[in-house]
Amino acid sequence: MRRRAVILASAASATAILGGWQLGLLGTPSAPVAETTTQTVGGSSGIPGGSSESGTSGSSDTGSSGSTDAATSAPSTGSGTDANAGTSTDTNAAASTDGTYSGSSVGTRFGDVQVQVTISGGAITDVTALHLTDHDGRSVSISNRAEPILRDEVLQAQSSSVSLVSGATYTSAAYLQSLQAALDAAGF
Amino acid sequence: MAFLLHDARHLERPARSMAGPERERARRRLWRSDLLAAGAVASVAVAVGLFLAEGGANRFGDVGSALTSLGIVAGLVATDLVLVMLLLAARVPLIERAVGHDAAMALHGRLGKPVVYLLVAHGVLLLTGYAVADGVDLVAEAVAIWSLPDLPLALLGFGLFALVVVTSLVAVRRRLRYETWHLVHLLAYAAVLAALPHQFSVGGLFAEGTWQYWYWLAITWGTLAAVVVFRLLVPLVATLRHRLVVEAVEPIGTSGQAVSVTMRGADLERLRATGGQFLVWRFLARGQWWQAHPYSLSAAPRGGRLRITVRALGAGSASLAGIRPGTRVAIEGPYGIFSEAARSRSRIAFVAAGIGITPVRSLLETATFRPGEATVVVRTPEPAAGWLLDELGELCAARGATLITVPGPRGRGWLTDAAEHEGLSLAAFVPRLDDTDLYVCGPRDWAERVIAEARAAGMAPEQVHHERFDW
Repeated sequence: MRRRAVILASAASATAILGGWQLGLLGTPSAPVAETTTQTVGGSSGIPGGSSESGTSGSSDTGSSGSTDAATSAPSTGSGTDANAGTSTDTNAAASTDGTYSGSSVGTRFGDVQVQVTISGGAITDVTALHLTDHDGRSVSISNRAEPILRDEVLQAQSSSVSLVSGATYTSAAYLQSLQAALDAAGF
Repeated sequence: MAFLLHDARHLERPARSMAGPERERARRRLWRSDLLAAGAVASVAVAVGLFLAEGGANRFGDVGSALTSLGIVAGLVATDLVLVMLLLAARVPLIERAVGHDAAMALHGRLGKPVVYLLVAHGVLLLTGYAVADGVDLVAEAVAIWSLPDLPLALLGFGLFALVVVTSLVAVRRRLRYETWHLVHLLAYAAVLAALPHQFSVGGLFAEGTWQYWYWLAITWGTLAAVVVFRLLVPLVATLRHRLVVEAVEPIGTSGQAVSVTMRGADLERLRATGGQFLVWRFLARGQWWQAHPYSLSAAPRGGRLRITVRALGAGSASLAGIRPGTRVAIEGPYGIFSEAARSRSRIAFVAAGIGITPVRSLLETATFRPGEATVVVRTPEPAAGWLLDELGELCAARGATLITVPGPRGRGWLTDAAEHEGLSLAAFVPRLDDTDLYVCGPRDWAERVIAEARAAGMAPEQVHHERFDW
C-alpha cells in the first residue's frame, strides 16, 4: 500500500473506531432498572409541568409546548405504572389471597421479561414465565437455561430475594423484578 | 544477441516544453486507488465500530464476556472482508479502472486465508466464551448452541467458504480444471447467503430497527447487487447489444500452435474496448459454451471487428482452432488497465515474450507517443520468428517505434544468457527509462524478472505495468 493510502486508511479507521466507542459510551446499556427510572422521570416531570401551569392559570391554549408534553406524558406514565403494579386476574386482591398474579413487564436490552405467580394457601406454589428475553437467539437460550433455575430458587426461598443466575444477569434481575411486582399485587 | 528489426530512434525530436497529460492522469488514478484502499480498510474499522457503538467496550469485564466479545469482533471483521473480496471480484468499473483487474484479483486472493482463520477464531472464541459464561464444558456448550437459530446454516456457510479457499490454494488449484475450480468458487455466494441469517438472529448487535441493522443489511445486499449487476447484467447486455459472431479463424505462423479469431459485431464503439485490454470470451458452440476464457485483444477494435490471438495452452484454447465462422460469442468486459488508462509518463516501452505479444500488439496500435519515443523488445525463439512479429514490424514502421528482438533459449534472467553476457539490459534497449511507461507481458516468472530489473533501474511502481494471464 502506498504511504498516502496508509495515512488515509489510518485516519478513516481511527474515526470509525473512536466514533463507535464514543457512541457506545453515550448509550451505555440500559440495565433492567430502566423501567423504574423512566417512572421516576415521568413522575418528576409532572411537578414542573404542574408548577408552570399555575403560572399560566390553566389556559391550555397558551401553554408552552414543553408544559403540554409534560402534562400529556405524566398521566400516560401514571397509567402505565398502575397497569404494571396490579394486572391481577383476581379482581378483589386482598392481602395474600390465593390466585394467579401477573408481574409487570420489565424491559431489558435483550427483550421484555414478565412472570406470573400462583399463590395457594399463603405460599408461592408456581412461577410461570409469560415472556422472556427474545431479541436474539443467544438471549433466548440464556433465558431458557436460567428460567428453571430461578423458578426453583424462588419456590424454595418463597420470595424474590434469591441470587442471580451467573451468565444470565439481565434475565435474572428482570425476572425477579417482575416477580416482586406480582407478589406486591398479591399482597404476599 | 539482440536484433534491431526497426530503428526509429532517429525520429526523436527535442523534448516537449510542456508536460504531457500522462502524469496528471496517473495522479488522478492513484488518488482513486488510494481512496479505495483506505475505504476497504476503513470498512473493517467500521465493523469494529458497530460493535463498540452498541457498548461493546464494556463487555470485556470477565473472561466469558471478553472471549465472546472477541469472537463477535472476529466474525464482524471476517464478514466485512468477505464482502470486500466479493466487491474486488465484482468487476466494479470504479475498481477496475483505478487499481486494475489483476491487482484487484491479487488482493482478493490474498484475503481468502486470513478470512478463514478469522471465521475459525469466531467460532472457537464464541464457543469457549459461551461455555465459560454458562459454566459448562465445551462439548455441552457445543450441543447447546446447536439449537441457536440459523446456526446449522451458518456452519454450512463456513464449510462452503472453506471449500472455496482450499480449492484456491496453489497446490490444490493446480490439479483442478479451471471449470471445476470456477464452479466451486461460485459457492462463495451461497456461503455469504447461508451465513447471513445468523448474524441477525443470534447476535443482538443487529436488532431490528437499529442503525447497525440497516448498515449491515445495506453493505451485504449492496455487495451482492454489485455482483449481479456487473458480473451478470452488464455482460448480458453487452452480449445482446453487440451480437458478436466469429468471422474468421486463421492459423498464425507455420507451426499451427496459435490462431487468430476475428469477430464481427454491432455498435462496437459503445463497448469502448481499447488496445491492451482483454475480454472474457464464451464461444456458443457445442462443447464450448460452458467454458469462458480471458484473452487479450490482439488488434485494436476497428471497423466493427474484434480480434484475439490464442496459443494452444489449455484444453479450451486448443479446441479454439475448431471454432467455425458464424459461431455466436458471449462476452464479459473489456477489463484491464494494460492500456492507456495506466499511463504515467510520455514515453512508452513494451517488453513481451511468447503469446504475451498480443496485448502489446493492440496497445502499440492505439497508445499515444511521438515517433521515436516508443520501444518494443520481444523475446523470441529465433531472430525473425515470433507470434505476430510481421504485424508488429509493420506497426512499428508506421508509428515510429523501435523494434528489437532478443532470440535464443531461456536464460537465468529475462534475456538470453548470451545477451546478458554482452552487457545488454533494459536500460540498454530503452532510452530515458525515468520518463517511460513500461508494459510487460509474458510468462509469470519471466515477467517478474523484467519488473525486478525495471525497479532496480529506478522506475517507480506506477511506471511499470503488468497483468497476469495465468489463473
